[in-house]
Amino acid sequence: MPAPAADVVLSAQNLTKRFGERVAVADVSFDVRAGEVFGFLGPNGAGKTTTIRMLVGLARPDRGTIRIRGLDLATHFEQALSHVGCIVESPDLYRYLTGRENLLHFARMLGDGAAGRIEELAALVALAQRLDDKVSTYSLGMRQRLGIAQALLGNPDVLILDEPANGLDPAGIREIRHLVRSLARERGMSVFVSSHLLSEIELMCDRVAIVHRGRTLAAAPVAELLARVSSDRLLVRALPAASAAEVIARFGAVEPAAADDRDEIAARVPPERVPDLLRALVAAGIDVHTIERPEASLEEIFLEITGSQTV
Amino acid sequence: MKFPGLVENEMLKIAKQRRFRVVVLILVALIGLIVYGSFRARDRFHVKDWHVEAQERTAWLQGRIRDSRTPPTALRWFRFELARLQYHLDRNLDPDAISGPLFARAFANHASYLLLPLLAIVFASDIVSAEFAQGTIKLLLTRPVGRAWVLGSKLAALLLAITLTVLLGGLVAYLFGGLAFGYRGWEAPVLTGFRASGQGVDPSAIRSVALWKDAVLAYGLAWFAALCVGAIALLTSVILRSTAAAMGTMVAALIAGSIVPRLAPSWEAQKFLFVTALPLPDYYSGSPPPIPGLTVGLAVAVLAAWAAAALLAAFWVFTRRDVLA
Repeated sequence: MPAPAADVVLSAQNLTKRFGERVAVADVSFDVRAGEVFGFLGPNGAGKTTTIRMLVGLARPDRGTIRIRGLDLATHFEQALSHVGCIVESPDLYRYLTGRENLLHFARMLGDGAAGRIEELAALVALAQRLDDKVSTYSLGMRQRLGIAQALLGNPDVLILDEPANGLDPAGIREIRHLVRSLARERGMSVFVSSHLLSEIELMCDRVAIVHRGRTLAAAPVAELLARVSSDRLLVRALPAASAAEVIARFGAVEPAAADDRDEIAARVPPERVPDLLRALVAAGIDVHTIERPEASLEEIFLEITGSQTV
Repeated sequence: MKFPGLVENEMLKIAKQRRFRVVVLILVALIGLIVYGSFRARDRFHVKDWHVEAQERTAWLQGRIRDSRTPPTALRWFRFELARLQYHLDRNLDPDAISGPLFARAFANHASYLLLPLLAIVFASDIVSAEFAQGTIKLLLTRPVGRAWVLGSKLAALLLAITLTVLLGGLVAYLFGGLAFGYRGWEAPVLTGFRASGQGVDPSAIRSVALWKDAVLAYGLAWFAALCVGAIALLTSVILRSTAAAMGTMVAALIAGSIVPRLAPSWEAQKFLFVTALPLPDYYSGSPPPIPGLTVGLAVAVLAAWAAAALLAAFWVFTRRDVLA
């Protein structure tokens, strides 16, 4: 077994998975280092969940290897997975059991005193009060937290969370984010988080890999990624639209108006020229209703990066 | 060694789900109904004083046994009947009435080909598919436990649940039967070993045993049949990943098994179907087999072969298949 780089905890090399004719994951590679929060960003259907299923042993890659702390998942399944805690897709637990019974159930699958950590983990995810209630009475946020407690039972080196913010309210998302950050910072745990929302990854992760149509781009720090895709695109809603477009055209290229919304003008205006643009619009007697800089979509980011890579 | 903990997990899941309570309820309600029915039916025909009749029969049998003209085959039969009457007279029991122990013994035969297999199916058909339906399979198979151990623990829990069900069935049959017909009579001699041969019954294998021994054997056979059905239902649960589909498939097989011997009695190969082999206690107590050549030994072998093949296939599929649902 080749020795892995010292601080790589989870490594995927050339993962490929096809379903019949369709290639779901094509040649995906990345390394997750110790103590970092690693984002796996891509639109729904990009191959995120299939990749995660391969990482945790639910599906076998057609090609490629997965190593967890240097252990090949295909040949050392049990040892490799003893370092992993995960939630795949949704926090599905036994609804007819209580929170404690669920944790005991999974603790028995780990052995070695995992059951002794139940109280501590319940407190960590703020479920101590409700631990003896049936999971069917839990809210989605509580189930998500119980799922995380379950994932932490084995004191894993890697935590794999698939779309942890899905279905949560803003407060719930914030809690998960704080928990993930503190696990990485205080316990040195590596966390692999998948998401289809750039904003979420941006706030939570240290490095990010983007997956698109089954392919990933080389992982990069989040800030670097954002810098590369910072867009000049501006959306202006102003009346009368025709004269507004004329004014805006002096500051940057105006995109053809979308057929369904003639009042919204999209243009490429560099950030430093926006104040001048606003003054010019006001001076021309145009009513400016809104002006915003939309977040680049994943599709755009992907095109941007692949474009710049091929140049 | 995590395996005992895994089996504990699976037993916990079986016990905490509603279906376990439903199975217990079905057993209690059904046996209660049968006992009540037999009790009412018995009352209608219970007219004569059995003491007098039993004594008359004893005297007559003693006379025939002493008679040198009685053929030896009949002699065996008379001796057995005399011993049986004596046993009942000694304990002040009606020799012609059904007793609690007799009812419990008969229940094994009647439950073996439909009720017990059905309950085994109820447990087995969701033991794997429910994990898929709930999504918990994703957690179950991403823990540091090999898939074969996961399925092995499910199999062990399933066998335990079926064993408990058969024991519970026998116990409830005895308790309810005893309530209606009296709890005594386990030592009563009964005839067993009837074997169809050629035109009639081959008398050489017939022997007398205590009722409790006969009952233990009958329940053992019913238990074995239920275990084998459980193993086959486990395979359907693994393959179909849907409780309803698995249960439907198995129930359809059971029903087909009760129809085929009647519709096509001359089709000999049906003795190799597992459903035809299910009424093991019937084959053992010597009811004429519906299919020529189907002995209790062959039926046990057929069931064992089906169960072994089903388990092999179940483990093969379960340990290899991708979990994507």
